[in-house]
Amino acid sequence: MISKRFTLSKRLLGVLMMAGGIGAFAAIIGIDIVDVGREGGIGPAQQIALGLALGLAVVGLTLIPLGDAPA
Amino acid sequence: MIQRDRLLPTLHRMLMVAALATLFAYLLIYVVYAGNLIAFPFDYDQGEGFELVDTILFSRGEFPYKDTNLYPFYSSNYPPLFHVIAAPFVWLFGPAYWYGRLLGFLGTLITTGAIGLAVYREGRRPAVALLAGLAFLASNTIYHIGPLFRQHMTMVMFETLAVVVLAHVSEIEDARRRRRTLLVGLALILAAGYTKQLAFATALAVFVFLFIRNPRRSIIWGAGFALVGIGIFLWMDFATGGQWWLQTISANVNEFIPAQTVGLYRLWFSLHGFLIVPALLMVGYELYFSRLSIYSLWLVAGIAVGVLSGKWGAGDSYFATSIAGLCLVSGIFLSRLLNGDLAFPPTNLYARLFVAPLRRGVPLARAFSLLLVPLLYIGYGRAVLHLPTEGVIFAPAADLLGVSANALNGFYDSAGRIAGGYADIGHLTKPSDVDAGWQIVERVREASGPVLSEEAAFTLLAGKEVITNPTQLLNLANNGQFDSSQLVEMIQSQAFGLVVLRAQFYPPDVLIAIAENYRQEEVIHMNGFDYLLLRPIP
Repeated sequence: MISKRFTLSKRLLGVLMMAGGIGAFAAIIGIDIVDVGREGGIGPAQQIALGLALGLAVVGLTLIPLGDAPA
Repeated sequence: MIQRDRLLPTLHRMLMVAALATLFAYLLIYVVYAGNLIAFPFDYDQGEGFELVDTILFSRGEFPYKDTNLYPFYSSNYPPLFHVIAAPFVWLFGPAYWYGRLLGFLGTLITTGAIGLAVYREGRRPAVALLAGLAFLASNTIYHIGPLFRQHMTMVMFETLAVVVLAHVSEIEDARRRRRTLLVGLALILAAGYTKQLAFATALAVFVFLFIRNPRRSIIWGAGFALVGIGIFLWMDFATGGQWWLQTISANVNEFIPAQTVGLYRLWFSLHGFLIVPALLMVGYELYFSRLSIYSLWLVAGIAVGVLSGKWGAGDSYFATSIAGLCLVSGIFLSRLLNGDLAFPPTNLYARLFVAPLRRGVPLARAFSLLLVPLLYIGYGRAVLHLPTEGVIFAPAADLLGVSANALNGFYDSAGRIAGGYADIGHLTKPSDVDAGWQIVERVREASGPVLSEEAAFTLLAGKEVITNPTQLLNLANNGQFDSSQLVEMIQSQAFGLVVLRAQFYPPDVLIAIAENYRQEEVIHMNGFDYLLLRPIP
């Protein structure tokens, strides 16, 4: 991955996007679990962020079948 | 008589001429508007005067990031580059608005040129390249903020130049040339970031692009970029005794209004939808069938950063980067559609599943694209309709188009005034506005002692000290970082000979102190707004 000629494939990009999306989703939910003192549950800004994280993961998933084609 | 096989190309040419004429008309309106604003000697948009004050301070070699708890309670919340660029004009011409507005205007023209160049480079269609560039200036948002004394459009200019410079950097085989290109491109990103903080989204898009193409290069150059960027940041923070961090970062964490974000996204789509759809199709095409370009990633980042438009004090200007991106990416898509060179590799799973069954329709689709492309630009031209509705040229034009003023001072704007955060500007100023402005300046001159004015122009032109930057005080107060006691004490002791209010953006306790110690004695109407002149209660 750190070679001078390496470039990301669609599959690897998909995996990274999916991991990033799932990670972000978990982190956003985690805010409420860790910061239990907060009131009002998941707010509008969090809902937008959750939607974006989920979208990133889904798009990532659809890239995985494209294999080694360069991203 | 036109032969059948010549009919479509002839229709295509006629429609392209109509599309070009439509977008050129917007260019003319924009030039008239810019000329009008450049000649206007007062604040047109709220806060312009404080950008001038920042420029004056930089021209004296001073930072505008000051302790707002102390007299004159002034500070800036913007990075320095735009004001530093404008500073030599202060040396030559003294304090004035025209050069800042001229710089903003020229910045939009450079952005237009860069968009056109990029579209031409990728699609070799001069007419579409021209349309793509003009579409940027025709946007309601770009039109009304372009020629202001504000740094936003200069940031967009640097962002656009950066992505255009870096677009093919990974394909440059010659190492020295590649390094030079990277250096120029990343310097432009840094310039954008030190013009306005919002450029962080473009910086992210650029590094994601570099990472996808070559992670090693991205990491090495990213480390160097971070080193320089953070180095400048730390130096400025040190040089201002921590005020740089407080004023430009901490004070910018404002209340988020989700309804404003949603309203502005809806407005953005309703105005630019004719170009957003082809631009997103291009993003989808590159994502699944080709390679992701820097332009597509930049567009996505620009759209995403629009979420921040819901912050208090933010607005439709937060979509300017995405507008540049969508004009550019849609231009490339439409050029390539006309060229018929959107390839779908037969080995690609989705090409086999979804595109191959449609192959028989390709000739029809290509013929259809000859009409579709100009019609999209004509449709866009209709969606972004805006023009003054008064005057010898514009009044008959408005009549012909069947529109009448729906905004301040004789101006029609298809954006309406429904979304919170959409700037209530775009109209032309009149000689009576200039007269009214000088009237306020005269009142400021006559007042004994310092004057507390919500806009800087009046005190600057009266030769008095500019005291406070109201919105910045409110930003700080909302974050619990403003101690108003000294300012409130001055108001209570009636230290100010005159108070000039417009939007009343001061923190609540300051407004209460003003209300208790000053009374409104005069209202002067200027530029569609009422300026309240308050004098000490005897």
